[in-house]
Amino acid sequence: MISEATLELARCQSCQARFLPADGPCPKCGSFQCTPYSTSAVGKVLAATELHYPAAGWHAPHRLALIEVADSVRLLAIVDGTLPVSGALVEIRREKDVYHARPEPAG
Amino acid sequence: MTAHVASVGMGRFGKRPEGLIDLAAEAAGLALEGVGRKPIDLLVVGSMFAQGPHGREALLPRLAGRLGLESASGFRVDSSSGTGGMAFHTAALALETGRFERALVVAVEKMTDRTTAEITRDLAASLHMSEVAAGATMPGLAAIVTERYLQRYGLSTDVCDLATVHARAMAVTNPNAHFQKAVTPAEVAASRAVALPLRLLHCSAISDGATALVLERGTGPATVLGLGQGFDALRLVDREELTSFAATRVAARRAYESAHLTRKELDVVEVHDAFSPFALIHIEDLGICGPGEAPGWFEKGWVGRDGRVPVNPSGGVVGRGHPVAASGLAEIGEVALQLRGEAGRHAISKRPKIGLAHAMSGIASHNFVTILGGKAA
Repeated sequence: MISEATLELARCQSCQARFLPADGPCPKCGSFQCTPYSTSAVGKVLAATELHYPAAGWHAPHRLALIEVADSVRLLAIVDGTLPVSGALVEIRREKDVYHARPEPAG
Repeated sequence: MTAHVASVGMGRFGKRPEGLIDLAAEAAGLALEGVGRKPIDLLVVGSMFAQGPHGREALLPRLAGRLGLESASGFRVDSSSGTGGMAFHTAALALETGRFERALVVAVEKMTDRTTAEITRDLAASLHMSEVAAGATMPGLAAIVTERYLQRYGLSTDVCDLATVHARAMAVTNPNAHFQKAVTPAEVAASRAVALPLRLLHCSAISDGATALVLERGTGPATVLGLGQGFDALRLVDREELTSFAATRVAARRAYESAHLTRKELDVVEVHDAFSPFALIHIEDLGICGPGEAPGWFEKGWVGRDGRVPVNPSGGVVGRGHPVAASGLAEIGEVALQLRGEAGRHAISKRPKIGLAHAMSGIASHNFVTILGGKAA
């Protein structure tokens, strides 16, 4: 079963960059004239790591992943669960200003 | 208005009992002795944390008072781990105006009086706030960069181990280096995981230390030939690529242009290897070798003391220790020592004529390249 969850991206009306978070501004040119759009919340892990010495206030091990979603947009997410390998698919959700990734449900 | 490095002062990097001001004053004193205590009319001081025993120090006036330089002009700069490079560039550009005769540049950090978790949190101030909000740390993002580099060129972590072995072998000859013991590839590979693929011995240490140098009008073996700096997107995901640092490429291009020379004329290089695999990326970005060729340079020993282009004869950041602000200035100081024939046991095999020092802020968000050498004209 393919996840139906969606992720908000945005396209900058000035420089056409695509990015997130969709509430902007555009990270390339600073414009607030951006059009949000929805895409699949499934992304591909480009690299992931487990921090054994996290910053004060965080617990070890803390897992982070660099993920690519639609339109080659990349994001950094906290991994909930076991560390995915590069190339694995994960489902992304946004919680306040932070993205979380978990292994995509098998289907 | 030409300027040259007339003197370098450096105390030992490592775990030191002294506080921030004493560390800075020690290095400054050594640099001032080197020019026979000639008058200083500009003081440039850099520190990321300026951490004193009761909080942030008013570092610039405190040091001016301590050194008896109240009649000088002064600047305090901060560019996280690139602070030392920024401090030097600030002084060099100020001297270029012709308004100053002789500058004392000091970069200092006190770090070992806080826990690793506290330092890790404080160092993350050089990252984008959205990355900090996700619990990112310097080693965490450096691990992602390293993983991408290894993937791109189909490499194992052996090349990272080799870069650490090189750094530590160089550091053994530098009496001011934090680490005085060489390591084997097996020891690096067996060190504990920090953020894989990075292990403890791939990461720079938390160190105390200071570097100072005197920059004065005129020429010498360590004349300022070229300066360049470059920014990149602070947020890692906004960068065009992760296996090369645009901030270095831009800074290097500007430095080569201003010096009217190319990377082929470099006799010695100091790069900011906050994590040992970054040394590979840096020498590629400086154009010393092509993309993906750096592992071969390390494997063949071309970065050694008698190699094609000796890299980090001081031990680099991984070998010398990393009092963050002081590292960037230590890199410039090392190149100056090599050019001036004052490097002692860490001198490269053939006395160099032209050298380059590279300093990196955070994960290469703002980098500085400095080219020093004997003045041709």
